[in-house]
Amino acid sequence: MFQRLIDEAPLFFNYHNLVFILEAMGRTLGMTIIGCTVGFTLGLIIAVLRRSESRTLLPFRAIAIAYVETFRRIPFLVILFIVLFVIEPLMPGASLFAIATVSVCLLSTAFLSEVIRSGLESVPEQQIEGARTLNFNALQMLVMVILPQSWKVIIPPAAAFIVMFIKDTSLASQLGVIELTFAGKMLVNRGFSPVLGFGAILICYFLLSYPLSRFAAYLEKRLASS
Amino acid sequence: MDYTFQFAEVLKELPYLLGGAVVTLQIAFITFWAGAFIGIFGAIAKVYGGNAARRIASSYVIIFTNTPALVQIFLLYYALPDAGILLGSMTAVLIGLTLNAGAYLTEILRAGVISVRRSEMEAATTLGMSRLQLLRYVMLPHIAKTIYAPLSNFFVWLVLGSSLAALFGVEELTGRAINISTANLRSIETFTIVAAIYVVLTVLASSSLALVGRWAFRVKAKVF
Repeated sequence: MFQRLIDEAPLFFNYHNLVFILEAMGRTLGMTIIGCTVGFTLGLIIAVLRRSESRTLLPFRAIAIAYVETFRRIPFLVILFIVLFVIEPLMPGASLFAIATVSVCLLSTAFLSEVIRSGLESVPEQQIEGARTLNFNALQMLVMVILPQSWKVIIPPAAAFIVMFIKDTSLASQLGVIELTFAGKMLVNRGFSPVLGFGAILICYFLLSYPLSRFAAYLEKRLASS
Repeated sequence: MDYTFQFAEVLKELPYLLGGAVVTLQIAFITFWAGAFIGIFGAIAKVYGGNAARRIASSYVIIFTNTPALVQIFLLYYALPDAGILLGSMTAVLIGLTLNAGAYLTEILRAGVISVRRSEMEAATTLGMSRLQLLRYVMLPHIAKTIYAPLSNFFVWLVLGSSLAALFGVEELTGRAINISTANLRSIETFTIVAAIYVVLTVLASSSLALVGRWAFRVKAKVF
C-alpha cells in the first residue's frame, strides 16, 4: 500500500490535477458562499417576519414557520433530489451547479433563520420598549437597536453552520456537480490510489473549514467575555 | 406544463419505505451510542488527560468535524481494501458515522464534564455525601442540564445524516426511495413522501426525547 503511494505521488501532484482540484474547490466554495448569502438574507427576512405581530402578515408567518420546521428536518440529500426533479422539467437547461446551489440556499435559509431568530430574541425587552418610547418605527428599531446588539449572538453559531454547509455540499457530488468530492471520485476512477485521491480531497475540505471553525471559536470566546 | 401527481403509486410502497425508516433509526441509534462511548473517553481525555492524551483527542475532533462524513466513508470504503481490509457498505457507513459522531459527542460531553465545578464537589464532600450521592445529586443534574438538549439535537442530526448511507447502497429510507423512484419513475412524489416521513420521524424523536428529558432529568427542553 505504501509503496503504491510513493510510486504514484509524483504522478498525482502534477499541474493538471492541481488545477482540476482547485477548480473543484472553487465550485464547493461558490455553492457555499452563494448559499450562505441567500440564506442570510432570506433568513433575516423570515426571522423578522416571525417577530412581527401584525394580523395581515399572519399567513406569511405560518408559511415561514412551516418552511423552517420542515426543511430543518429533511436530509440534504433528499432536498437535493426533490430540487433536481422539480427544476429539471421546469427549466430543462438548468445546470447541475445551479440546482445544487438552490438546494444549499433552501437548507441554509432554514437553519440560519433559526440562528438569527435566537439572536434577535437575545436583545433585552427594555431596549425595544425604549426604542418604542423614542418613537422609532419598525425599520429604525431593527437597524439601529436590535441588529447591532444581536450580531454577537448570531455570528458564532452561524459560522459553525457555514462549516456544516461546506461539508453538506459534498452530497452534491451525487448529482454530478464537479465539486471537491466528485473531483476525488474522478481522480480515483482515473486509477490513482483512493488514499491519495480522497486524502487530498479531505485536506482541501479541511483547508476550507478549519479557518472558519477557528474563527467561530475565537469569536465565541471574545464576544462572550465582553 | 402538465404534470399529474400520482401519490397512490408511491403510497402503496409505504410499508417498504417504513421498513427503511426503521433501518435509518437503527443506524442513528447504533452510531449514537457507539459515538457516545468514544465521546466519553474523548471528553475525559480533553478535560483531565495529560498533554499527549489531550492533543490526540483534540486533533481527532478537529479532523473529523472539519471534513465531510461522505469523503471519510469513501476513504474507508475504497482505501482500506488496499491495505487488505474489505468492509461491507453497511459496516463502512457505520464505522464512518460512528467516528464522526464520536468527534461531535466529545465536544458535547466535554461541555457536560466542565459544567461540574470543583468547589461544588468539595462542598458536597464536606456535607458527607457518598460517592453515589455525589454523582446523583451534584454531578448528574449539572451534566444533564448542559448536555441533554445538544444530545437530542445531535440524535436528530444523525437521523438526517444517516441518509448518506444510501450512496453506498444501504437500503435505509433514502436508499429505498431511490430504489422505488428508479422503478416507478415517480421521483417527485417518492421524495416528497420520504421527506414527509423524515419530518414525522424527527418530530417524533425530538418530542419524545424532550418529554423523557422533562420526566427523568427535569430538563426544560423545547419540544419544537
